[in-house]
Amino acid sequence: MRLLRVPPWAWIGGGLIALLAFPIVQRGQYYQHLMVMTMMAAVLASSWNILGGYTGYTSLGHAAFFGLGGYLVALAHNQFGWHPFISTWFLGLVVMGVALILGWIALRTHGSAFVVVTIAMVFIFRIVALNLGEITNGARGLTQPRPGWGGVQWSPEIMKIPFHYIMLALLCLTVLVSWRIRLSKFGLGLVAIREDEGKAEAVGIDALVYKVLAFGISAYFVAVAGGIYSYFFTYIDPQFIFNIFTSVTMVLIAILGGRGTLWGPVLGAFIMEPLGDWLVGTFGGTQIHLAVFGAILLGVMLFMPQGILPSLSDWLKRLTRSRGAGRLGPEPGAGQDASSAAKT
Amino acid sequence: MTIPSTHLFVQTLILGVLVGGVYALMASGLTLIFGVMRVINVAHGAFLILGAYCTYWLFTLTGLDPLLSLVITVPLLFAIGWVVQRYLLTRIQNPEQASVLVTFAMAITLEGLMGTVWKTTLRTVRPDYASKVIELASYRLPVTRLAGFAAALIVLILLYIILQRTNLGRAIRATIQDRNAARLVGVNVEMVAALTFGIGIATAAAGGSLLSMIYSFNASSQTDWISRVLSIIVLGGMGSLPGALLAALVLGVMEQLTAIVITLYWSPIVFYIFLFLTLIVRPQGLMGEVVREKA
Repeated sequence: MRLLRVPPWAWIGGGLIALLAFPIVQRGQYYQHLMVMTMMAAVLASSWNILGGYTGYTSLGHAAFFGLGGYLVALAHNQFGWHPFISTWFLGLVVMGVALILGWIALRTHGSAFVVVTIAMVFIFRIVALNLGEITNGARGLTQPRPGWGGVQWSPEIMKIPFHYIMLALLCLTVLVSWRIRLSKFGLGLVAIREDEGKAEAVGIDALVYKVLAFGISAYFVAVAGGIYSYFFTYIDPQFIFNIFTSVTMVLIAILGGRGTLWGPVLGAFIMEPLGDWLVGTFGGTQIHLAVFGAILLGVMLFMPQGILPSLSDWLKRLTRSRGAGRLGPEPGAGQDASSAAKT
Repeated sequence: MTIPSTHLFVQTLILGVLVGGVYALMASGLTLIFGVMRVINVAHGAFLILGAYCTYWLFTLTGLDPLLSLVITVPLLFAIGWVVQRYLLTRIQNPEQASVLVTFAMAITLEGLMGTVWKTTLRTVRPDYASKVIELASYRLPVTRLAGFAAALIVLILLYIILQRTNLGRAIRATIQDRNAARLVGVNVEMVAALTFGIGIATAAAGGSLLSMIYSFNASSQTDWISRVLSIIVLGGMGSLPGALLAALVLGVMEQLTAIVITLYWSPIVFYIFLFLTLIVRPQGLMGEVVREKA
C-alpha cells in the first residue's frame, strides 16, 4: 500500500521524466517507433474520452477526424510547403470546425443511432478521399518528402526522436485539457448529460451545445495526431487512414483503461499498443491477429466492463475496507496501516 | 452529370427496387433484433458474409444452387444466433451501452477467422444462369437479381407471417412494445430474445446467400455491408420493420440513380448525405418513435 502514498504529482513527474529520457536511453529503432505509436494511441484514447467518457456518447467516427487531419497536413505540406510540425496544430482547428458542424447533426441522435451515424462519417470521408482523385490522388494515396527541417533531412537513426517529443507534447496537452475540462463547470455538465440527459436539461444545461463542444474538442487532438502520423509514415491512403478500426482501437483502449477517468485511456494505451504490436508480430501475415484482437475486446467487455483503473481502485478499496472491518476502537493511523500492508 | 432518358430512368428504378429488396431482407433482422433486445448487432455484416461463404462452399463442393442453399444456411445460422444470444449476449451488463462494442468484437473475430480460412481473394458464386437476362417490355432484368429479389420477398413474407400470425410473433411484438409488461402477462422474454436473435441472424444468412451471387465478397467486405445495413435501419427508425423496408428501397433506388446520373463510386455517399439530412429533420428516423433512453 505504500505505493499509493506516493503523491500524484510524483507519479506524473516520474512518468514525464521517463518519457523525456526514453529516446536518449533507448536507441533501438523498434522501441522508439513503438513508443511514438503508444503515445499516439494514448492521445487518441484520451481525446476520445472527452466525448465518449465524459458524456457517454460512443463515437466510432473519430477515425474520420484522424484521417482528415492527416490529409490536410499532407496536402498543405505538398502544395504550400507548410511544415507538418507547425501546420498540424492549426489545421487541427479546421478539422475541429468540420467536427462541430457534423456533431451538430449527429448529436441529435442518441445511444445506438449515434454510433451508427458516426460510423457513417468514416465512410463518407473515405469515399470522398477515394473519389476526389485530382486533390487526394485517390486510392494511390499521398506521399510526403522524408521528414526533416529547413531543407535538411533527418538521418534514419535520429528520425524518430523529433516525433517522440512532438507526440509527447501533444499527449501532455491532451491530458491537461482533459483534466481542466473534468474540473470545470463544463465538464460537470458533460457528466450530468451522461448520467441523465433529460434531467441535465431540466436544470438548465444546454445539452446540444455542451455535447457539440465536447465533440469538437475531442476531434481536435485526434486530428493533430493524424497530422503528425501522416508525416511520421510519409504515406497515407484512404483505406488505411479512414479506417473504422482506428476508431474502435481508441474506444477499446479507453474502455480497457477506464472510461471517463483521466488516466485510464493513457494506461490502456500503454497496455494495448505493445500487446497489439506483439500480436501482429506473432501472428502477422495471417488474419488471426484480428481474431485474437476481437477476442480480447470481447473478454474486456464481458468481464471488465468498468475498465482496469476503476476495477483496480474498487479492488483496493475493498482490500482496505476488509482490513478495517471488524476492528474496534478508533481508526488506526493511515501511515501505519500503509506500512504494515507493504510488509505483508 | 447526365440526365437519363425516360427509358433508362425506369430501367434504373427497376434495378433499384430489385437491389432494395435484398437490402430490405438484410436490414429486417437487424432492426428486429434492436427492437426486441435494444442490442445493435454490429456483427450482422459478418454473419452476412458467413452466410455468403457457406453458400459459396456448398456451391463449389457440391454444386448446390445458391437459392437452394438457403435451406441449409438459414437453419445453421439460426442455431448459431441462438447460441450467441443465450451464452454470450446475456452476459453483457448494460446492453444499451456495451452491445455495440461486444458485437463489434464478434464481428472482427469472425472477420479474422473467415479471413484465415478463406483468405482475402474476392469470391462470387456464379451458377449457370448468372449472366442470363430476362427482357420484359424492352427492360432488362438480370436473372440473379430477380431471383434474389423474389427470394428476399418470400423470406420477408414468411417473417411477416411469423410476426403477425403466430404466438411467437405476438410475443416478439409485445416485447418490442414493452418488455416489462410482456413479462407480466407471461411472455418468456429471455426465450423471445434468443429466438429473435436467431431469426435475425437467419435472415442475415439468407441475405448473405443472395449477396454471394450478386456481388463479390471477402471477409473484410463485412464492414461495407454493416455500414450499409446500419444506415438503413437508422434512416428507417431503429426497431421499425416497415421503416427498414422503406429505407432499404430508398437506398437501392438512390444508389442506382446516382450510379447513372453521376458515377458508380459516388453512390454510397449520396445515401449517407441523405441519411444526415433526414436526421436533421427527423432524428428518430423515417418511421421511428421518439424513445427516451435510460429511463
